[in-house]
Amino acid sequence: MSEKQNLSVVEHIKHKSRGLRGTLVESLQDEITGAVREDDHALVKFHGMYEQDDRDLREERAEKKLDKLYSFMVRMRIPGGLMTAEQWVAAHNVAGQYTTGVIKITTRQTIQLHGILKRNIRPTLQGFSKVALDSIAACGDVNRNVACASHPHQSAIHAQVHAYADKISQLLLPKTRAFYEIWLDEEKLEEHTEVDPLYENRYLPRKFKIGIAIPPNNEVDVLTNDLGLIAIIENNELKGFNLAIGGGLSATHGNANTYPRLATVIGFTGSEERTLKAVYEVLTVQRDYGNRSDRKLARLKYTVDRMGVENFKKELEKRCGFELEAPKEVVFTARKDEYGWVEDYKGNWHYTLFVENGRVTDENGYLLKTALLQIAETGKTTFRFTSNQNVIISDIKPEDKTIIQALLNNFQIEERQALISAIRKNSIACVSMPTCPLALAEAQRYLPTLIDKIEPLLGKYNLQDDDIVIRMTGCPNGCGRSSASEIGLIGTSPGHYNLHIGGDREGLRLNRKYKDALDETAILNELDSLFSSYKKDRQPTETFGDFAARRQLV
Amino acid sequence: MLDEARLQQWNALIATLTKQELTWMHGYIAGKLSMDAPKSAPVAAPVATSHKVTIAYGTETGNAKKLASDLAGKAKKMGINAKLVGLDQYRFTDLAKEEYFFTVISTQGDGEPPVGAKKFYDHIHQNGFTIPKLKYSVLALGDTSYPQFCKTGEDVDLQFEKLGATRVVPLQKCDLDYEADANEWFMKAIHSLNAPAVAPASTSVAAKKPIGKKTYNGTIVTNINLNATGSNKQTHHIEIVAEGLEYECGNSIGIVPSNQPAVVAEILAVTGVDGTKVIDWKKETSSIADLLTNKINISYLQENAIKKYAAIIQQEIPLVRMDLLDLLKIYPVKDTAQFIEVLGILNPVPPRLYTIASSPMAHEGEVHITVAKDVFDVNGVEKTGLCSNFLSLQKTETQLNFFVQPNKRFKLVEPTKDIIMIGPGTGVAPFRSFVAERDATGATGRNWLFFGDQHFTTDFSYQTEWQNWYSTGVLTKINLAFSRDQEEKIYVQHRMLQQAEELYQWINNGAVVYLCGAKYPMGRDVEHTLLQIIQQQGNKSKEEAEQYFEIMKEEERFMEDVY
Ligand code: SRM
Ligand SMILES: Cc1cc2nc3c(=O)[nH]c(=O)nc-3n(C[C@H](O)[C@H](O)[C@H](O)COP(=O)(O)OP(=O)(O)OC[C@H]3O[C@@H](n4cnc5c(N)ncnc54)[C@H](O)[C@@H]3O)c2cc1C
Ligand SMILES: Cc1cc2nc3c(=O)[nH]c(=O)nc-3n(C[C@H](O)[C@H](O)[C@H](O)COP(=O)(O)O)c2cc1C
Ligand code: SF4
Repeated sequence: MSEKQNLSVVEHIKHKSRGLRGTLVESLQDEITGAVREDDHALVKFHGMYEQDDRDLREERAEKKLDKLYSFMVRMRIPGGLMTAEQWVAAHNVAGQYTTGVIKITTRQTIQLHGILKRNIRPTLQGFSKVALDSIAACGDVNRNVACASHPHQSAIHAQVHAYADKISQLLLPKTRAFYEIWLDEEKLEEHTEVDPLYENRYLPRKFKIGIAIPPNNEVDVLTNDLGLIAIIENNELKGFNLAIGGGLSATHGNANTYPRLATVIGFTGSEERTLKAVYEVLTVQRDYGNRSDRKLARLKYTVDRMGVENFKKELEKRCGFELEAPKEVVFTARKDEYGWVEDYKGNWHYTLFVENGRVTDENGYLLKTALLQIAETGKTTFRFTSNQNVIISDIKPEDKTIIQALLNNFQIEERQALISAIRKNSIACVSMPTCPLALAEAQRYLPTLIDKIEPLLGKYNLQDDDIVIRMTGCPNGCGRSSASEIGLIGTSPGHYNLHIGGDREGLRLNRKYKDALDETAILNELDSLFSSYKKDRQPTETFGDFAARRQLV
Repeated sequence: MLDEARLQQWNALIATLTKQELTWMHGYIAGKLSMDAPKSAPVAAPVATSHKVTIAYGTETGNAKKLASDLAGKAKKMGINAKLVGLDQYRFTDLAKEEYFFTVISTQGDGEPPVGAKKFYDHIHQNGFTIPKLKYSVLALGDTSYPQFCKTGEDVDLQFEKLGATRVVPLQKCDLDYEADANEWFMKAIHSLNAPAVAPASTSVAAKKPIGKKTYNGTIVTNINLNATGSNKQTHHIEIVAEGLEYECGNSIGIVPSNQPAVVAEILAVTGVDGTKVIDWKKETSSIADLLTNKINISYLQENAIKKYAAIIQQEIPLVRMDLLDLLKIYPVKDTAQFIEVLGILNPVPPRLYTIASSPMAHEGEVHITVAKDVFDVNGVEKTGLCSNFLSLQKTETQLNFFVQPNKRFKLVEPTKDIIMIGPGTGVAPFRSFVAERDATGATGRNWLFFGDQHFTTDFSYQTEWQNWYSTGVLTKINLAFSRDQEEKIYVQHRMLQQAEELYQWINNGAVVYLCGAKYPMGRDVEHTLLQIIQQQGNKSKEEAEQYFEIMKEEERFMEDVY
């Protein structure tokens, strides 16, 4: 079982937190600082928030004898990334009032708002609560936002599969009422802490992520999750799921014990009851066997590798009370969003919109945020976020399509989308500077301009229509899933990135490091020569990632 | 004398002590006794240890800071007046003045110093100076999973040695679980202070000479705008170094500003007068340009000056205060002679006072002030106050003349007394001085600050210093009022009302209340509020409360410096 001795600091904090309450109430009252107390720093995550500070301003403020400009980033809990129009309007308004104003669509189909001062957290969360949105367990050592294939047209079974995201999310929510008490003024229960059979009072050793894919599209990157569910559809019927365990992308520069890993498929479950049971018990095994002394080695992937896949599976089956069936055959052929208008099996329409790095804002004459607000205000759509940080304006009845189309026209959305290159449409960058405390180099503020310079290189070799998947992260944590891409750029220090290549297009093979700590000129030179040999020596239909792997460039 | 249980504890403790530790405790207890001694002790602040100890931290994610604060707090409990300072704010020139300098610093990046400590790190790696008097030790924070384990700490340790400083305790490198190692290092560091004697309270101030209005020729070494980008305000923290400085907490300094050269040039242009012409003015003989720049008040002339001006040029002029330049434009002078005649009736530039924000003990050889740039509107034109604008523009290394203005009615009380400080805006200046002084001298009285301004994120003057003092326990309580962070305006007096009960307890227990800052409306509002609190909390009638307040003033339990 877990190492009882030498528990990491966070373990102690969780344990004595009285259901994640800690000293949050007191922290909110501390006038002298915009931060929360030391221990609450970890706890506030379980409530869906991160304490951050504007790193651009650190030096200036230190000189002025001012503390860092602390603020909080709130990440909403939106299972499967589905939001109503009313919720979008609320998010828009709350964002305008208390945050930087940018609505950030994440790589796990939710939204984040940055820059919320301590005193504004409660009004923010109360604003969301009015439209039945919360941020419970969006962060922290619990099951996070469940990601799920987002495009409704993909199959008639989409809705059926999508419902699993919500069910799993509910099943795995922590039982504590702390969120409601602290942020929403719910009356405090007696001095007792709720019993939580799943999380007990120690929660999981680390964050836990679940993703659900509907083949043949793998746009959720299912194998990068701690637990991946792959829908098995036969004769237009949902048969159940293949279960894959132990995915995770993070590594630490210079720490050889850490590594990215794709999930291993261990079996199949048919009925809903069995599927949910298996999901639940994967968490309990991780809860009991995961490493609680070293947070760098605490994700499920390390537990699986330490126990061995077979042993893990045995323990899981023991707890489930049934054996997993043999996994079914699955073929993935793509990992991308279907941009533009698509009609679904019911005749409803969906418009998938590329949002560069997920930043919804009005800038440089492109009034994307206003456009989405006006679209939401019609009340005739839903919003679905994709794991590629994009949004689908969805579930539009045929008779309403012209209204939405008119709004898209007003804001020249389609014209602008048409101008976006293939590589840009297949790009992801994580948040990074200035809010991410772990960032070593820029990402979302930089990738767009880097792509400006990569586009002509592709043009030079007539590769401009190639759907090469390029991803950049400001550090090796991999929030933009940079290790699962054909071209991965992973920040090492300001202005420098490791260049990774050789990942496949569908997300079934990780890339590997090709060159260390390149600056922009070096990145462009390397890509130039890689594109050149790809153009010359590729096999017909061979993707860039496959080419790099076959040529054993890495 | 001791009961059984405490006697046992005492004996058990004594048995474990080294000779050095015993000597140290002896001194400590002696010092403690002298500090707690009743009123007869002089107004001086007793010094708990004769050594000057600084604990400096360089941090990125806060570990070093947390640790350094803990250690400083611990030191204080032991009676050692360790000063806590962040390397991000450390003035390099202070190094030469340090005695014991303990550095807690982490390593970042690929063996690099934390961003905030970079300048310090670069500074000590420059050649061309030595710090032979410095006694030091370094505690390095790091992570063994990085190849460059504790590199920065190593560098600093080595570099101090190269600069001629004496290492009193070997470098201690720590992994992520640094607590135990850090404590051990710290105990060694404390021992290295080599049984500090506790100076009797009497020695520290007896030698102080009375302070006269001597003019000091100072050098500005720091001039920073404390308000962050986005603030409506501009408040300058100015540090001035001067030879032979003497002042006490609560004093002010007086500064005579120069007029803006552009305005002087315009006056000369408008009148067509030759600025190089030398004339006699009052007791001075100098060029007109020099006199206009440095001596003569040309801004916002008094009514009587306007009256005299009207007499000279023989015109009716309404008696409205205005600048000389405007006057000259509307009612021109005839010729140079008439202009010189006008100069004759003008006054010298009056000095402006600024309450001192530094402490003689904590900031030896320097005086700091906190200057709000005065910006106001005259008939739709934005104008700035003469002196505050002048000061805001001064570059470091410029010379500045000033004098010390003593203030008998605004002084720091004896170290054992509790104090309540109410100082919004620049009113906070003397309280920085008080708390720094009490920190440096190990005063035992409790300290409670009320501060306010417009916005928390941009206008919290000296925030990090208050935080440090709060974390080491020197600042007991702090309440803040940021007027524009919510719909309704909240000022310090509102916070005082919220704290009425405790406030009254402090006052009734003998705490001294200080008020500093703008007289109107703040000063008056705060006094009203105090009266209200005394009346309500003390169950007194209005008259009784007023009487109580009067006695407080008489007994110097209420002191103010409002302007
Ligand atoms: C917003 C988002 C990136 C984006 O641009 O979309 C993001 C942003 C952050 N991630 Fe992430 N992660 C995001 C998806 C991911 C992914 C991708 C995925 O899940 O599909 C990964 C890699 C997969 C994995 O988990 O292995 C990922 C692996 C991490 C890690 C490394 C975890 C580990 O195993 O070591 C950290 C650091 C940590 O947890 O200590 C981290 C931490 C962070 C923090 C919260 C930094 C921090 O700990 O203080 C970043 C906040 C930056 C900011 O200012 O907003 N984030 N993070 C994504 C939010 C997803 C969501 O809605 O929940
Ligand atoms: C004991 C004491 C302590 C003090 N401590 C501090 C301190 O710590 N910090 C601090 O910032 N200040 C302090 N002050 C105030 C300080 O001395 C100055 O008064 C302040 O800086 C304004 O001076 P100034 O030369 O900038 O403005 P001035 O030029 O003297 O102008 C002052 C005011 O006069 C009026 N005025 C000036 N010119 C015109 C014009 N042309 N037309 C119309 N109106 C005009 C405006 O109302 C303006 O606000 C203190 C004052 C005293 C007495
Ligand atoms: C980006 C990063 C780089 C680091 N590099 C090093 C290193 O090169 N050598 C080392 O000993 N520790 C390194 N560390 C570990 C820190 O020194 C350690 O976490 C320390 O406790 C931080 O202290 P601080 O919070 O005061 O900055 C690094 C930490 C981070 C986050
Ligand atoms: S990948 Fe690194 S830099 Fe980017 S958001 Fe995640 S933690 Fe921050």
